Amino acid sequence: MGNQYVEMGLTAPVNVTWEVTYGCNLTCVHCLSDSGNRRNGELTTAQARQVIDQLARLNVFQFNIGGGEPFMRQDFLDLMDYAHENGMVTCISTNGTLIDDDIAARLDRQLVYIQVSLDGATPATNDPIRGDGSFAKVIRALTCLSRRDIEVSINTVLTRLSFPELDRLVTLAADYGAKLRVSRFRPSGRGKQSWAQLNVNRGQMAEFSQWLAEHLAVSTGDSFFSVSTSERRSLGLNMCGACKLTCCISPEGHVYPCAFLQDPEFLAGKLPDKDFEEIWQQSPVFESFRGLEIKSCESCHRFDLCHGGCPAIAYHTQRKLGVPDPGCLANCVSVKPVAAEVH
Amino acid sequence: MSVCKVYTLKNGVQVRRETFGLLFYDYRGPRLYFVPTKDLIEDDFFQGRRSLAELVGDIQERQGWPTDWIEERLDQILTTLERKDLIDGQSIC
Repeated sequence: MGNQYVEMGLTAPVNVTWEVTYGCNLTCVHCLSDSGNRRNGELTTAQARQVIDQLARLNVFQFNIGGGEPFMRQDFLDLMDYAHENGMVTCISTNGTLIDDDIAARLDRQLVYIQVSLDGATPATNDPIRGDGSFAKVIRALTCLSRRDIEVSINTVLTRLSFPELDRLVTLAADYGAKLRVSRFRPSGRGKQSWAQLNVNRGQMAEFSQWLAEHLAVSTGDSFFSVSTSERRSLGLNMCGACKLTCCISPEGHVYPCAFLQDPEFLAGKLPDKDFEEIWQQSPVFESFRGLEIKSCESCHRFDLCHGGCPAIAYHTQRKLGVPDPGCLANCVSVKPVAAEVH
Repeated sequence: MSVCKVYTLKNGVQVRRETFGLLFYDYRGPRLYFVPTKDLIEDDFFQGRRSLAELVGDIQERQGWPTDWIEERLDQILTTLERKDLIDGQSIC
């Protein structure tokens, strides 16, 4: 990874996470955006197309689409077609419950990845987190998608419940021609309430880090860069990419450093009224974030490997930036335990 | 090195200009490649509309560098990009 080039500042993000709606037909206990009902002020179709225009003009390579549940938007597939016509790759994170043969056929052979969320290898593990019957619906979606030429991953949030089932999830994914992707649990949205109960402990995180080293085909979307071992060094980032390689757009068009930092103090601007290029290059919020230094980590032997870890977890557990990620493998001093109180 | 060639991006690969040079994105990974070409190559060169000979000529005219040096430098870059399966070179002679 060309850190020195990233630090020089890119003209635009490499990818942008776009939460297209708060609407969701599930109420997962760890939902990062506290989704449920659609809300007033979500971007209209015309506004959403303007957002795509702005990002395509800057040659942003990829949209990572999330929500809420993206397929709750009636215009969602039209918007994806529009993004693809503009040469953008899309990665859709979905709960899978609304995917049927018709939707799978429409996504076939497009510039698209699909990530279907599943938080356990059995209904007994998954459904208490994601809702009754959700496991069976995801299996139906995976069946529909497996018949098409679409890159599919099962996306699992690492929790105390999913951790023991990772090997079974790898097998389950392979059964449907999919890969497994594991995401880090962060205490934002409803995750604040379930953090203490669901987040892995330090020992499990260390064990997971080793497991990742032995499963190089499992992807992480860089969400575990701070605990990566040398075996995975070449597979991704060794620092937080927020405001440097990526950022997040909320359903209302608000631009934030990342999906997990959407508190008012991180609002960098609103699309499409404001120009995205101006926000990316001149927003004081982004400039400040790019200059973030985790001073207390700089003398650590792992600093070059993680640069202090995930600022979002540090912020949500300690209510400030510039402090170490409490999930640090080196067991940094002056941080609370992983299951720290969430503000 | 034959300069009688054009280059295009492989399927699933995109490129854009940055201050350090070229940033390639490979959808098939997905992977990023940072290529410090400075001002040597513009991203639209990979649309396949201009030959390598034309590019060498443009750089020579703009910078006044020896043609041999320019060709050697471009050869290094383009060979690496081909080896990484990011671009395709086609002879046009």
